[in-house]
Amino acid sequence: MNSGAAGAEEPQTSFFADSDEDVAMQDVKDSEQAEPLQEPTITSSRPSTPTAPKQERRLFFEDSDDDNIPRPVPPTPQKNDISAEAAVIGSDSDVEIPSLEYEPGPASSGASSVPSSRASSPLPADMLNDDPSNKKRRRSPSKPKEPGAAFESAYIGTFLVGNAWSTVRGKGYIKAGDPILVERDSPDDGKPSFKNVTKVKTTQSTDKGKKKQMTLSSMLKPQPQNLHKKKADTVVRLTNARGFEFARLPTDIATWVSKLLDLGIVDFKGSTMVDCPETLRSGADLIVSLSVYIRHTAFKAANISPNDSPRNFFNQAQETIEEQTLRERKAALLALFDAVSLNPRRGAQAGASTTAIPEDAPKDTKASSKKIKKEVVGDGEEIEVEEGDELSDGQLDLIYKKAQRNDKTMAEMEPVDTFELTLRGYQKQALLWMNSMENGESSAREAVSMHPLWSEYSFPAEPIEGVIDLTQDENPFYFNPYSGELSLTFPKAEQKLKGGILADGKLGMGKTIMLSALIHTNKTPEPSIPDDELPARKKQIRLDRAFRPKNEGDHKDVRGPSATLIVAPTSLLTQWQEELERSSKPGSVSVTVWHGQNRLDLAGFDSKDEEETTLPIVITSYGVLASEHSKLQRAGGSSPIYQIEWLRVVLDEAHHCKSRTSKTARAVYEIRARRRWAVTGTPIVNKLEDLQSLLKYLTYSPWSSYSHFRSFITVPFLARDPKAIEVVQVILESVLLRREKNMRDSDGKRIVELPGKEVTIETLQFSNSERMIYDSIYGHAKQDYERLYAKGLVGKNYTHILAMLMKLRRAVLHPHLVVDPDEPDEKDSKNGVIDVDEIMEGVADSSSSGNAFAADVLANLKNAEEEGECPICLDIMESPTIIPSCMHRCCKDCILSYLASSAEKNEPTRCPTCLQGPIREQDLIEVIRTKNEAGEGDETSNADGPSKAPEVVLRRNDFRSSTKLEALMQNLRRIQDQDPHFRAVVFSQFTSFLSFISVALERERLTWYRFDGSMDVRKRSAAIAEFKKPERKPKVLIVSLKAGGVGLNLTTANHVFMMDCWWNSAVESQAIDRVHRIGQEKTVYVKHFIIDHTIEGRILQIQKRKTAIIKEAFRGSGGKTDSDTLENLKLMFGDD
Amino acid sequence: MALPKRIIKETERLVADPAPGITAVPHDDNLRYFDVKINGPGGSPFEKGVFKLELFLPEEYPMAPPKVRFLTKIYHPNIDKLGRICLDILKDKWSPALQIRTVLLSIQALLSAPNPDDPLATDVAKHYKENEADAQRVSREWTEQYASDP
Repeated sequence: MNSGAAGAEEPQTSFFADSDEDVAMQDVKDSEQAEPLQEPTITSSRPSTPTAPKQERRLFFEDSDDDNIPRPVPPTPQKNDISAEAAVIGSDSDVEIPSLEYEPGPASSGASSVPSSRASSPLPADMLNDDPSNKKRRRSPSKPKEPGAAFESAYIGTFLVGNAWSTVRGKGYIKAGDPILVERDSPDDGKPSFKNVTKVKTTQSTDKGKKKQMTLSSMLKPQPQNLHKKKADTVVRLTNARGFEFARLPTDIATWVSKLLDLGIVDFKGSTMVDCPETLRSGADLIVSLSVYIRHTAFKAANISPNDSPRNFFNQAQETIEEQTLRERKAALLALFDAVSLNPRRGAQAGASTTAIPEDAPKDTKASSKKIKKEVVGDGEEIEVEEGDELSDGQLDLIYKKAQRNDKTMAEMEPVDTFELTLRGYQKQALLWMNSMENGESSAREAVSMHPLWSEYSFPAEPIEGVIDLTQDENPFYFNPYSGELSLTFPKAEQKLKGGILADGKLGMGKTIMLSALIHTNKTPEPSIPDDELPARKKQIRLDRAFRPKNEGDHKDVRGPSATLIVAPTSLLTQWQEELERSSKPGSVSVTVWHGQNRLDLAGFDSKDEEETTLPIVITSYGVLASEHSKLQRAGGSSPIYQIEWLRVVLDEAHHCKSRTSKTARAVYEIRARRRWAVTGTPIVNKLEDLQSLLKYLTYSPWSSYSHFRSFITVPFLARDPKAIEVVQVILESVLLRREKNMRDSDGKRIVELPGKEVTIETLQFSNSERMIYDSIYGHAKQDYERLYAKGLVGKNYTHILAMLMKLRRAVLHPHLVVDPDEPDEKDSKNGVIDVDEIMEGVADSSSSGNAFAADVLANLKNAEEEGECPICLDIMESPTIIPSCMHRCCKDCILSYLASSAEKNEPTRCPTCLQGPIREQDLIEVIRTKNEAGEGDETSNADGPSKAPEVVLRRNDFRSSTKLEALMQNLRRIQDQDPHFRAVVFSQFTSFLSFISVALERERLTWYRFDGSMDVRKRSAAIAEFKKPERKPKVLIVSLKAGGVGLNLTTANHVFMMDCWWNSAVESQAIDRVHRIGQEKTVYVKHFIIDHTIEGRILQIQKRKTAIIKEAFRGSGGKTDSDTLENLKLMFGDD
Repeated sequence: MALPKRIIKETERLVADPAPGITAVPHDDNLRYFDVKINGPGGSPFEKGVFKLELFLPEEYPMAPPKVRFLTKIYHPNIDKLGRICLDILKDKWSPALQIRTVLLSIQALLSAPNPDDPLATDVAKHYKENEADAQRVSREWTEQYASDP
């Protein structure tokens, strides 16, 4: 922030800056020569000539004064003083200082030194800002104050210095309880580089006398080599009421006190001598109590601009120097706050420079120190290998923690009556919060958020009476520990934005509903404002204007925008539409899904009839938005969606635009809207910069600027500076609302009450043939892997190995996913359903004698209430199967395993009953009996025949099942026995397997719907709608894990089947949460099918391992395959 | 390993509804192992004899046939001196639709109708072929000597 001012001063200042370094050595040498004393004065008299040498020299002296010359030295001059008593002794350099100061004009003393800085300087530019109060500062205590703005200075605290040391010897200088003054020789001495040259001279001249003596007396030669390293003069003198110096502050304290004095930040008033010997000796320890007052100007300066201190005028425009000043100022202030035990009430922590962590400081500090070692839940193992900078879950929790702190106590707000649903408590809270965020009220959360870089302090109570002090108790002031700025006004986190991030829990909290409530509740359109009040969008508008006559909204629309735009992933468009319509009184909203080829013309959409109370809502997808945006980018292109100024934009699953350079993100930034919302469960996906993109979309300055964000957050974060997290916390606190499913409200109740969830893992055994197929694939894969591993090429052939793993995972599901079926499946269009007549013909052909028997069997099929006994298992036949050639029957499982065992032994496959053969598996005929409940089952849509009689369907066994499929079917049958109208959702990651499942379901005569990424939106939503439709029959929805893992609301179901397992269990639980979410009323049963002794067991191991490994917080962004991944591969192919 | 339901069922039925002239009792410590007694069928040289057999149900049962062996010495062309039986359903004609009961009935039937054309004990078979009456006499003697119920 200083750069601007510094730039202005550049011409003058630049050469001083240079002088610092380069000339230094020369000067030193010069000064070693006998007469250094004279030179400074000479040079200083001509300000325009290279003044640098002089400065350095002065430095030299100062140094010697401070450090090189130990305590014994100063006394020399002071002895003289003593003898002169309080009188001003002209010859003595020490005394000159006061005299100079009292004299308004240029100093008279022998020093050619021109005007001291305090006097109106000869360099007008420099001095302009050097207002009277600044001058006073040097000796402020002794001077009467001119009334400042609000107050001259405010008490900030008192601290004891136990080791001030006496510079005089004798009695009568001071006694305990006496008031003392704190002085600097000259403020300018402190900082040669910034100092007004002239000042330097004057003081120097005075100092010089002293120094000369000192140097002469002893020390001149000894330590020249240190000189250029030495710090500026930091001597702080303590004088008695008569202005007579009797002591100095110890160096450690003097370093920062001198800074503060020089910078005009503080006064010392009402300081007293606490204890001292009656007779002073030089070097004697004195205990003094110093009361510190912050000068009003300190605040002012900080607020105004970079020129917070006069020195900046001379500042050489070098960032380094300027920064150095600020740093010193900051450090001095921190030291001061530390000394007077002033702790921030809240806000950014001072960080490293504060020695002690204040007790009442926010817990964040402690928390943040913890954060470094948090486990990393490695993500992106597979294809989604992400590079570095990832955040661990622990860190994320920490980041969100602060944003969540006050939330349980937040007030609630009732939606308006056009909103038809009843909100839960936490949803009402969200409504209030969102509403106030939009209206710019800050009441929702307890306090307005402070600017993240500032901390709040309060002025301590002033213990001494009679001092001008307008501050009252608990008056706050603000300090920016990053820049050293002080302020009296509350540094609000800049929050021009209207909107925020709704980041509730993971899933199922009803974000859609909350937004719908907001749309209804806060519907008053804002008055239209001239476009130029939207500076960020200006360019955009101009572009538009250039090519079209005028934005209709501009003239017509007095009321301003009223429409809401919702941008969501394609799969959720209809869900938004449904939810919005469901939650609204009919006619209160008009929802348009703007998607697909035939997008309506939106022109005039927002300039609807003013009287209409309908709330216009447009829903579109990120894809559409991006393509509209690219249209817009083309010369002369335009897009209706960008012409409209929206009242409100809502980004659903806003992490879709986490990458600020992506097309989607850029398209999103360009939307013109008054209010902006981002809805996402994961505002930070794995990097802090994910958040930046959202903030940019929200136009949340200053964080919307990437460089700002980077320098204040990303970079410190990578440097493991806990402040970064704190800053993020504060940002989030001001824009983000996040509750977790398991959070509790103020009454201690869970904010979301969900029915239970029972997860079971069913471990299955392969059939022999499946095992053989799997083992052979696994063997090959393992060989490959070991070969690559031996050569150390695993990393390079990562994708190859992944492909092999993928194949193995498919082999677990169904052998036909990896092996072509031996013979092409001649699929009947009727899904294997065959006619009885057909069979009769077959039977007639083979054995005419058996004809009667066959007819009998078939007749019995229709009538028999129960199946007969299976000749193989001697039990009631389960899924009876007819051997077509002889019409003998067995359980399906029994006959299949018999056929398999015969085939294995190379025996002919024959009917177990009559030994006729051979029999082919696919010729077997299954008898499917649908149970019709006598009482109620009359509308079964499946019933082709008379509805009352149990229906029998014969079906050819031409479908090759698999262990998992069979397990699924068995489970479904069992469920159906208990709940004839059950709803189940089946997830798999492989759409090809979904197809197998659908065939199997078809054969079970279950109604099923499918939802995967290949279907277009209309089909998808139709599938979901059909699935949800209440009907008296069982329904199964098969969903591809990737397409259906997010957003869908499937609470009508309460059975979930996970056919396969994903590397990352989070993805699975997300899918499960489609069903286990708000609105679910029953216990949810989840079943994972795992085949024993396959890769699946190892995937489970990896899932567990991932959450168990504790790693360094930040992974380097090394190769694509980090050691962890390779480690996992090893596990994959390891032997059990 | 748990006993398949089928074996349990069969055992129950053998006990509840035994075939005439046949008993089969599983061992307490091995339910797949049966002590079998078959009465010699009337009208055959083995009449009045009580023949002891052992029957074992292998792991694959009923996909594989049970293993059956005579423990009592018997003079029969299809049963060798080790008691092994030559019977098609115990070999390639086995079907899972067959059961312990049917197997034992078949063995009983085999006693009534020796089949010297498909011999196991070749010398006995030869004897039966050349002089059936004398062979039957030997069979009766053996039955009396070895298979008379104590």
